[in-house]
Amino acid sequence: MMRQPAASWKTAILLLLLSLFVAFVAARDFRVMNAPDVFAPAEGFARKMLSEYFPPLKGTTADTPVFIREGKEPGGTVLILGGTHPVESAGILAATLFLENASVPRGRLIVIPNANAMALTHNSPQEGHPQQIHFALKDGSTRVFRYGSRATNFTDEWPFPEIYVHPASGQKLSGKERSNLNRCYPGVPDGSMTERLAFAIVELIRKEKVDLAFDLHEASPEYPVVNAIVAHERSMELAAIVTMELEGLGIPIRLEPSPKNLRGLSHREWGDSTDVLPILMETGNPSQGRLRGRTDERLVLTGEDKAYVKAAALGRLFIPYEGNQLIAYRVARHVTAIRVFVENLEMVRPGKGVTLEGIPQYEEILKQGVEAFLKPVPKKREV
Amino acid sequence: MTFVYRLLVLVILALVIRCMFRERDFWKQATAALVVVPLVLRLLMIK
Repeated sequence: MMRQPAASWKTAILLLLLSLFVAFVAARDFRVMNAPDVFAPAEGFARKMLSEYFPPLKGTTADTPVFIREGKEPGGTVLILGGTHPVESAGILAATLFLENASVPRGRLIVIPNANAMALTHNSPQEGHPQQIHFALKDGSTRVFRYGSRATNFTDEWPFPEIYVHPASGQKLSGKERSNLNRCYPGVPDGSMTERLAFAIVELIRKEKVDLAFDLHEASPEYPVVNAIVAHERSMELAAIVTMELEGLGIPIRLEPSPKNLRGLSHREWGDSTDVLPILMETGNPSQGRLRGRTDERLVLTGEDKAYVKAAALGRLFIPYEGNQLIAYRVARHVTAIRVFVENLEMVRPGKGVTLEGIPQYEEILKQGVEAFLKPVPKKREV
Repeated sequence: MTFVYRLLVLVILALVIRCMFRERDFWKQATAALVVVPLVLRLLMIK
C-alpha cells in the first residue's frame, strides 16, 4: 500500500502569508474609494449634513454633505442632486460646477453633489470601470472624482432580497434594485440603508420647502430615455417651456412624462410626496452602454468608441453620435438645462423665482472644458 | 445582520484555511490560498 505524502504545513503557511499580502495590496487599492471627493464651494455656501434632516443617518455611511447658498433677496428654493448613480459622472460634475461657481442674488440653491455616498465607496472592476477620473487644472493641480457604482455598496446593503417589494406601492423589482437610490423613494425611515437615504432626501425637500429639484443622470446611448428630461405632471408645463427654449439654443432634448405606474423614482415620488417640481435629466454616456469596447477613464471622459460609431450608422442609438460624447458636452447639457429651468421658474411659481449668476454658458464649457470651471482644492483628501 | 454576514465569512474562511493545512496536493493548497483573498477582504468589509 502506497503511503500518502504528509500535508505540507510549510507550504500552507507560505501560501497563507502570500494570500494575506495579496489581500493587503488589494485592500489598499479598494480603500482609495473611501476617500471622499473634495469640493471648493463658492463663497457663501454653508455646509450641512443630510443627517440634519433625518438624525438617524448621523454617523452612518449614508450621510452626505449638503451645501446651501442663501440669496439676499427672498425667492424660491432649487435643489440639485448629483451622484444618485455615481457611475454617471456628468451629474456629479454638473452639480459641482454649480457648487463652485454659483452666486445667488435671489432665492436659495441647495447642492448635494454625492447623493448616494454609499455607492461611491466601490466600483465595478469586472465592467472595467476606472476608480477615479481626473481633470488637470490651469494651476497645475489635479481634481479627482471617484467613479463609483450604480448601486449602494453591498457592505451597506447586505443581504439583498430575491425580490424588492417597493414599500409604498407593492411594486416588485429585482432584489438588487433595493440598493438603487432611484428605486427607493419616497424612502422608509426604518428600512434598508438606501431606503433610509431616500427618506432623508425627501425630508430635506419637505423641510427646506424646495420648489424645483433636479436629479442628474446619464444613460447608455442605446437606451430610449437619453438626452432627455423626465417630468412629473406638475413639472410638465415648465419642462415644456424649457424643452422649446433648449431647442432654440441648439440643444435638442426629449421630454418624457413620468410614468404613474413606475414607482420609486425621483421624478415620480418627489412629486407625489411633496410640493416640489421634480425633474430628472439624462445625457448619453457610452461608458455605461452594453455595446462599448475597451472601458477606461478615457472612455468616460471622451465617449469615443468604435462600436458606437457602427451602432449609430445602423440607426440603433437614441442620440446623434459622431464618434464621441465628451464629458464637457454632457456636463454642458445638464448645466444649461438647469439654468434655463431656473430662469423660467418664476413663470410657474410666482414669487418663487431664483436668480443664479456665475454659471458658465454652454459654449464656454464646450470650448474650455469642465476643468476650466473647477476650483483647485487641497492636495490631501479627507479620509 | 452585518454581524451574521461577517460570522459566516469567518467560518468559511476558517474552513478554507483548515483545508489548506490538511491538503497534500500543492495545487489544491494554492487554490485554497486564492479563495482566502476575497474572504479576508469581505471579513474586513472592504470592497
